[in-house]
Amino acid sequence: MISPNTLVILLGTTALGTCCGIIGALMLLRRRALLADAIAHSTLPGICIAFLLANSRSVVALGTGALVSALVAAALVAWLPRVSRIRKDAATACVLGVMFGAGIALVGLIQRSGSGGSAAGLDGLLLGRTAGMLRSEALTFGCAAIVMSLIVFSLRKELLVSCFDPRFGTSSRIPTRSIDLLQTSLLAATIVIALPAVGVVLTAALVVIPAASARFWTDRFDSLLRISALLGAGSGILGTLISTSHPNLPAGPVIVLSATGFFVVSLLLAPRRGLLSLHLLARSRSRKRTIRHLLDAILDAQLHGQMQIAIDEIPESAIRTDLRSLKYSVQSGWVRREGDLISLTETGRIRATRARKALEIWREWLTSEASIDRDLIDLDEIEIEKILSPELIDTLQRSIDDREMS
Amino acid sequence: MIRPAIEIHDLTVAYREKPVLWDIDAVIPVGSLCAIVGPNGAGKSTLLSAILGTIRPASGWLKIFDKPLDRSEELIGFVPQRESVDWDFPVEVLDVVLMGTYSQLGWFRRPGKAQRDWAMECLEAVGMTDLRHRQVGELSGGQQQRVFIARALAQDTQLILMDEPFAGVDAATEEAIRTVLEDLKKKGRTVVLVHHDLQTIEQFFDHVLLLNLRLVAAGPTSETFTRENLMRTYGGRLTLLDEAAEAVRRIRTGRTRIGRELE
Repeated sequence: MISPNTLVILLGTTALGTCCGIIGALMLLRRRALLADAIAHSTLPGICIAFLLANSRSVVALGTGALVSALVAAALVAWLPRVSRIRKDAATACVLGVMFGAGIALVGLIQRSGSGGSAAGLDGLLLGRTAGMLRSEALTFGCAAIVMSLIVFSLRKELLVSCFDPRFGTSSRIPTRSIDLLQTSLLAATIVIALPAVGVVLTAALVVIPAASARFWTDRFDSLLRISALLGAGSGILGTLISTSHPNLPAGPVIVLSATGFFVVSLLLAPRRGLLSLHLLARSRSRKRTIRHLLDAILDAQLHGQMQIAIDEIPESAIRTDLRSLKYSVQSGWVRREGDLISLTETGRIRATRARKALEIWREWLTSEASIDRDLIDLDEIEIEKILSPELIDTLQRSIDDREMS
Repeated sequence: MIRPAIEIHDLTVAYREKPVLWDIDAVIPVGSLCAIVGPNGAGKSTLLSAILGTIRPASGWLKIFDKPLDRSEELIGFVPQRESVDWDFPVEVLDVVLMGTYSQLGWFRRPGKAQRDWAMECLEAVGMTDLRHRQVGELSGGQQQRVFIARALAQDTQLILMDEPFAGVDAATEEAIRTVLEDLKKKGRTVVLVHHDLQTIEQFFDHVLLLNLRLVAAGPTSETFTRENLMRTYGGRLTLLDEAAEAVRRIRTGRTRIGRELE
């Protein structure tokens, strides 16, 4: 049974996860995932300084401190590469290290200076705590999620062009710099909001992981944002449910582990991009290739007047020791087998001739082209005929014939 | 007097104090097809960026259709180098072409049917309508280049800049780009493009700008694309000089083009 208190927490973490998912997808597309990490870690010194100045643990004071130091970190990361030879990744790593180090030092200082009880609260910020979430906080998170969704929805085209091709955006009068600034501010705000629940150390993970998982499922900008938001929300829900039923588990890590669970599932099972389907694809390609070689070898023998060929005369690469490709070819009606002798059926002969011709034309096309895509090398005849237009095939065939004549 | 599309005066561009373009003076007339030519690192792309206004010159000024660049309302079409974007980006062909219509839409408005139809027309011009729903990463290099060209067409501007559109493309794409260029010229548009293939310069382009950090020469191809100027542009780089010599020889003999078809 879910208690009303848990319901409040659930609302809060769901909203948080949604925010993180949306902004994370945008950061990932800009290849700035690491910036999320740097900003999250950089909030710590701001929080500590705010605590020292205000001498309270009020959400507003600490939140302001966190936001200020997050923005300082973001500005430093943007500014360093422009004025010095430091590259962006190095700048990000430097800022992360320096700010987080300063933060940890300040936490130590505060604890030793004996502010005692309230300092313990700062520890909670490192790993996050959802247990004490207030109804008002949860509502704030909910509003933040709605506002963020609205902003991203209404600025869809501006965000798309500044993520994909900012230089083109600038040239067509889209203020990509302001969009950039907006995006970084949204990131900083999201992180600051997420801090109390997920903690300084792991907030970045909640920003990056759902987005990275979402990329496995789609090739569309809008669905990437949607799926990432959903996965973020899902991680929030799952993490909260687990951590509220096991009081000893800190919320932040559990939420991040839930997100990681979704990531692992995506990595393995996503259609087309998942490891499993990539493996199956590679296997079917390799089987097709073996069969092509097998049919080609028999065709070769036939062209040399040998209507039947013994199995052990077929090159190893074309038949494989387990004879699976041969069995498959026999089943498919391409190859006739009589004892140890094999020969092509009529359909098998047509298939082999077609494959051979396509390959020859393809080779001709490749040699006639200046630039070659790596993806376009290992293709079968069906793909080749799909890619080349019939006229081009004719032209290529003619040029092959010409060369053979001369 | 021919009306200038682009007027460049005393232009110097520097990255962190180091000048990458120095003392450029040139005029590109309206309706011309102008090639920017020069060795690697000559500042060709930088010059395009300066015309686009995406980098600020250290000194000098630029005028686009008689108006200073920073006060010009004129939109400039742009085809960036293909390598400048991440092609694994989750976006489909039509969406990229639609980016060409963004500047007319204004804040918050999304492209509607009119923009979609227009974008399809532009895709048609490069022969890519069938692939409109492909993710851009699934295209061949040449097809990606054609998407960029279609996007620039969708911008429907008087002036279009292209950064090496012919670099590493297949024959079909080369043909498509050439047709587009001819169409644009017929419509009186001005096209400026960075080009690296000296062999085809005098066949396609009526104007050239020879660049090597500073302007070596600029003007109509027939007067400017000479052996002396090419020597000055490319210095002692032998292979390129051979190419240049070959190109110049063909100007003299009046031959137009070496057949590249599948030899």
